Amino acid sequence: MQTLQRSRLADQVVRILFFICAILLVAVIIGVIAFIGSKAFLVFGEGANVKDYFLGTFWDPTGNSGTPSYEAGGLILGSVITTVVAMIIVTPLAIGTAVFFTEAAPRWLVRTMQPLIEIFTGIPSVVVGFLGLLVIVPLLQKLAAPIPGVFAPTAGYGWGAAILVLTIMVIPTTLSISIDALRAVPGSVREASLALGSTRWQMMINAVIPAASAGLGTAVVLGFTRAIGETLAVALVLGGSQIPKNIFSLAAFFQPSINITAPIAQDFGETAGAAQDAYWTLAFILLAITFIFVCISRYLASRSVYK
Amino acid sequence: MSMQELTPSQAVSLEESLAAQKRTTRRQEVRGAIAIGVLWAITLLVAAIFVFIIIRLLIEGAPTLLQASFYGTGEAGIAPELFNTFYILILAEIFLFPISLAAAIFLVEYSRPGRFITVIHFAAETLSGVPSLVLGMFGFLIFVVYAHMGTSRLAGALTLLCLNFPLALRLYEQALETVPRDLREAGLALGSTRWHMIRTVVIPSALPGLITGLILTAGKIIGEAAALLFTMGLFNPTNVFTLNPLVASDTLTTRLYYIKGPGAGTLGLNSVQESALAAGLSAVLIILLLVINLSSRAIGRAIQRRITAA
Repeated sequence: MQTLQRSRLADQVVRILFFICAILLVAVIIGVIAFIGSKAFLVFGEGANVKDYFLGTFWDPTGNSGTPSYEAGGLILGSVITTVVAMIIVTPLAIGTAVFFTEAAPRWLVRTMQPLIEIFTGIPSVVVGFLGLLVIVPLLQKLAAPIPGVFAPTAGYGWGAAILVLTIMVIPTTLSISIDALRAVPGSVREASLALGSTRWQMMINAVIPAASAGLGTAVVLGFTRAIGETLAVALVLGGSQIPKNIFSLAAFFQPSINITAPIAQDFGETAGAAQDAYWTLAFILLAITFIFVCISRYLASRSVYK
Repeated sequence: MSMQELTPSQAVSLEESLAAQKRTTRRQEVRGAIAIGVLWAITLLVAAIFVFIIIRLLIEGAPTLLQASFYGTGEAGIAPELFNTFYILILAEIFLFPISLAAAIFLVEYSRPGRFITVIHFAAETLSGVPSLVLGMFGFLIFVVYAHMGTSRLAGALTLLCLNFPLALRLYEQALETVPRDLREAGLALGSTRWHMIRTVVIPSALPGLITGLILTAGKIIGEAAALLFTMGLFNPTNVFTLNPLVASDTLTTRLYYIKGPGAGTLGLNSVQESALAAGLSAVLIILLLVINLSSRAIGRAIQRRITAA
């Protein structure tokens, strides 16, 4: 009788302990939002004004050139441009590969690529950044040499290199989620389409892709989430501290430049006071953007028919 | 109309429409063949990029990997970083494995499907979307500043717990869900409490999946850098080979970032030596990643064997 009571008691204790562990996850995300949110707006009481923060382009919160300047417009522009262009490259590559992979690829190709995709999903971003310095920057330097307005010694660093590095980082994520979405489409959809006389390609484009569209949308949105927060790979190949002057020309992509994450990685640790608060605002912007993306992906997932 | 003879003009138009249909079919077939050809090309391009990157990094690092001084404690050696990487891996897993496994057990075994699980899953998805850099800043604020840990291995490990919690939770949930329902019911029907049943029935059956999950999170921890920049620092104390969790230290990844990023030219190495060291670090990281992936696959195959044998 006593052992029974003791084991009942143990069951209750364990249950409460495990409940606390599950709740801890909620506590962490609430903590992240609350603490970063509480620091996000301090800088606007310390000399920055909202309009200049988002529209100005001279980022110098530590005041290296005299007075501190909190103008993050260039940083935000950098993140938006690199992320959007990278996703324009990633989306057709990843979805094309995923469609071929699930619908038409020979078995040996699936067998060899499956482990490759898994390995690349976990590749450390700093290694990809090193690869960027090793291969992509010298290559772009050569390609950019004939473009007017490019300053040769520092050419190759910048948005162009960042876009290619982001493409490499994001393809595995988008690809593997797309493959899952396409595999979730039941075989009956394919059979129905083929029975109506479709060619294999018509079956893919008119039946399978529309059936998986919500899942493919999720894959692209999560790719955006990954790309906007990517730090070290991008920080190594951006190589600048301000956006290029000639921003409306092709040369702007091949000159040292900047985005939101690179200056945080480089400078946040050495700042204090108002300068640090300026970086907390950047962190909050990243947090808000990724939160919106997660909500969109959840909405798309809730609309998908096949899971 | 059906049984009557066709007039010559009707026969011609029938033939014409048949020919037109054949042309359409032919055109669709050609279009399909072209499209599939394009998909072949895209897939091979992506695969070629993956293979090229791995081979290029291994070749670049190979000369460095063959030098004995690379494994030493000098300026161009990685012994401290190797030690720190495995130290932080073990310290982070000491927090991560039990906590996320406990949370997964609660979700799968104790709680009923409903709003509570939805809330936890929404929190997990949101947290997994937070960039690791931002979580690193959060860890800096909470553990380094507010909890007075300073930039230390402990602060780094706790930040890694926050970062990898959602992934670990999902992996362990999946592992627990593979255990068949009737095994649980048999355990409960024999009169054991839920916790006793979980210990003796569920966890042993889910063990291979749990180990695979452990290995995959280990891969994430070894590859992480951005979250550690502000929580664990970029520098080692003089006596780096200590088990003290309250000292700052770097890892293979943050060392690589420091060499090619903010620390370039400050290490007392020339740029050729710097690049060789960075290449060696990259190759070591790639090799660790390959080992982790292969071992988790081998365990996955072992599960398959067990399930098919049972």
